[in-house]
This record gives sequence, structure tokens and C-alpha cells, in this order.
Amino acid sequence: MGKADQVMDICLLAGEIMLTYGAETYRVEETLERMAKASSFKNVHCFATTTGIFLSFEEEGKEDLMQMVRIDDRLQDLNKVTEVNQVSREYVNHELDTEEAHEKLKAIAESPVPYPLWLIHLSAGIAGSGFALLFGGAWPDLFPAFLAAVLTSVTVVEFERYLKVRFAAEFAAAFLGGSLAIALVFFGIGDNVNQIIIGSLMPLVPGVPLTNAVRDLMSGDLVAGVSRGAEALLTALSIASGVAFAISLFL
Amino acid sequence: MMFFLELIICFIATVGFGVIFSVPRRALLLGGGIGVIAYTVLNTGLYLDASPVFSTAAASLTAALFAHLLARIIRIPVTTLAIPGILPLVPGSRAYFTMLAFVDGEYLTGLEYGVETMLRAGAIAAGLVFALAVFSFGKGVGHRYETNR
Repeated sequence: MGKADQVMDICLLAGEIMLTYGAETYRVEETLERMAKASSFKNVHCFATTTGIFLSFEEEGKEDLMQMVRIDDRLQDLNKVTEVNQVSREYVNHELDTEEAHEKLKAIAESPVPYPLWLIHLSAGIAGSGFALLFGGAWPDLFPAFLAAVLTSVTVVEFERYLKVRFAAEFAAAFLGGSLAIALVFFGIGDNVNQIIIGSLMPLVPGVPLTNAVRDLMSGDLVAGVSRGAEALLTALSIASGVAFAISLFL
Repeated sequence: MMFFLELIICFIATVGFGVIFSVPRRALLLGGGIGVIAYTVLNTGLYLDASPVFSTAAASLTAALFAHLLARIIRIPVTTLAIPGILPLVPGSRAYFTMLAFVDGEYLTGLEYGVETMLRAGAIAAGLVFALAVFSFGKGVGHRYETNR
């Protein structure tokens, strides 16, 4: 395999990891262009949207090379984005050669989430109950909000693991979390049903697509920005309809 | 006293959000700190009788500036700090009451809450954009005329 093919491979692998796990489009384009230029290729162009990356560059004395990858999943794991960022920085500074960079990127792609799943569910509970209190709840609301937020987090993870339909998972999670909150208040655990429901929904907030949509629109990646905004809006709508369903059934 | 308790709760909750988004370990506590700063600015604004939208914009701008600054120092992507930082500003309560009003058929109240939700979300975005404009001075994307020619 020639050097151009190798560099193309590591660039696209880096871009694929970053875009899948929640990097902004501009960061992907800039990283890939820098890596290709650092390998002394000319005429480097990269175009990334939310669902795919195109990269082309010219090898000295040969024709232009161009490849694309399609991004199917959009997950949230900012740790991987940070690690790929680190690898690309070392590669651009020539502290890593092509082989080492490829090994490191492969290791990042295969590594699991940095925090165990139980810790993620636990912190969803803590974050949810904390925000229930900050949004005007009282101390007795802390425990039911914790339970409902944990249920929301568990539902969204387990539903996605088996059925792989993202918006349905969010709908189901919002529905179950809201139902549990209403049930707990009905049995006398907690006072403010509204604040408990808000707390239980907080772990579903589409923070990554929302922030990235703003960033992408401002750096001129209009296609990527609008599609990310649509994604965040769809998530917000499925949460709202899920909890609206629970409320109109039980309250 | 109650306010300090709220700040501690805000810190813990923001760090919890950091874990949900898998923020790297060295940035977790910093993200929590930025969240606390944002919450303090928001509540100071509300205490001084500023409008909620303006307070949110000011808080978001402060949080985003700190996020950019710290991200430069410890060399990580800005998003890992900015996302936990702006979370205490998310108008979750307004969004929920919007939905509740629409479910109850009170469309006018729902629109009122809905407009406020959108304005607050817009204020968060505005704060992020201004911080970005400060930190990408001279290398952003032009729009109208090539003034340097």
C-alpha cells in the first residue's frame, strides 16, 4: 500500500471517529486538512457534513486521490473526540509516524466508553435530581427525581441497544420517566410533580447536537448546522411528545 | 446560605452531566466550575432585575469565554467544556410548561411560554457566538465584502 493510501486511511478513520462521537464539522475538516498537509500532500480539500466526509488530495507527480466515508451513528462520547484531537496534534508535529497513528486511532475506535454504564446511570440520577431542585423543587423531591432520572437513562440506553431506533428510544424514556414520576407523587413520595418530571427529563437534553449546530452555522458549515439543528429539534419533540403522552394518560 | 447550597448542587449536577456526555476526566471538574459560574451570573442578573433573556445571554457569554480560555490552556476541544458549562442555563422548566399548556389546550399560555423558551435558547446561542467571535479574531468566515483588498 502506498503512502497516499495509508494517509487517506488514517485521515478518514480519524474523521469518522470524531464525527460519530460528537465533534463539530469544522473541527473534522480542519483536523483532516492539517493531517494531510503535514504528510506533504498538495491541493488538500475536505468536506464534511453530519452524515459523511469527503477528502481529496494530490500526491506529487500522480493524480488526485479522493475517498469518502459515510457516518451512520451519531453517539456522544466527547472523550474519544479529545483523544483523536491529541493523536492528530502529535501526528501534525511529526511525533508519530503513519503506522503509530493508525494503531492509536484503531485503539481509540475500539475502546469502550470511559465511564462504566452504572456510573452513567448514577450520574444521570444525580444530575436529574439536582436540576429538579434548582428548577424550584423542594428537598422531598430529590429522591423521586433521582429514581425517575435513573429510569429514563436506563430506558434510553437499553432501548437503543436492542431496537436501534433513536427517536423511539427517547420517546419511550420520556414516557417511562414521566410515568414513574407521576406514580411516585401519587403514592406520596415527593410534592412537586412538575419539577420531578423536569428533573427526570434532563438527562435526555440534546446538548451535543444543539451546541454543535450553533458552532457549525457560525463557521459557515450551513448544511451540517441545519441538519444538526433538525436533529436536536427532533429529539426535543420526541421527549415532549413522550412526556405529554404520560401526562394525558395518568394526570 | 441557601444560594451557596444551590451552587454546590449545581456543581454536582453539572459534573453528573459531564459523565453522561463522557467528558474526559481532567475536564470534568473544570466543566462543573464553569457551570457554577454560569449559574451565578444568571442569578445575579435576575437578582438585579435584568430580564431573564438578557441574564441568560450574559451567563452564556461568560461560560463560553471561560470554556474557550481553559480549553486553550489544557489543550482539549472547546465543546467538552462548553456543553456542561451552559447546561444550567437550559430552559428545561419553560419548555416543560410550554408542553403542559399545549396538552391542557391553553394555546395562548403555551405560545407565551414557547416564545420565552425560544428566546432563552437563542440567548444561549448568542452568548456562544459572541465568545467564538472573540476567540477566532481575524480568522473567521467573511460574508459581505472583501474589505482587505
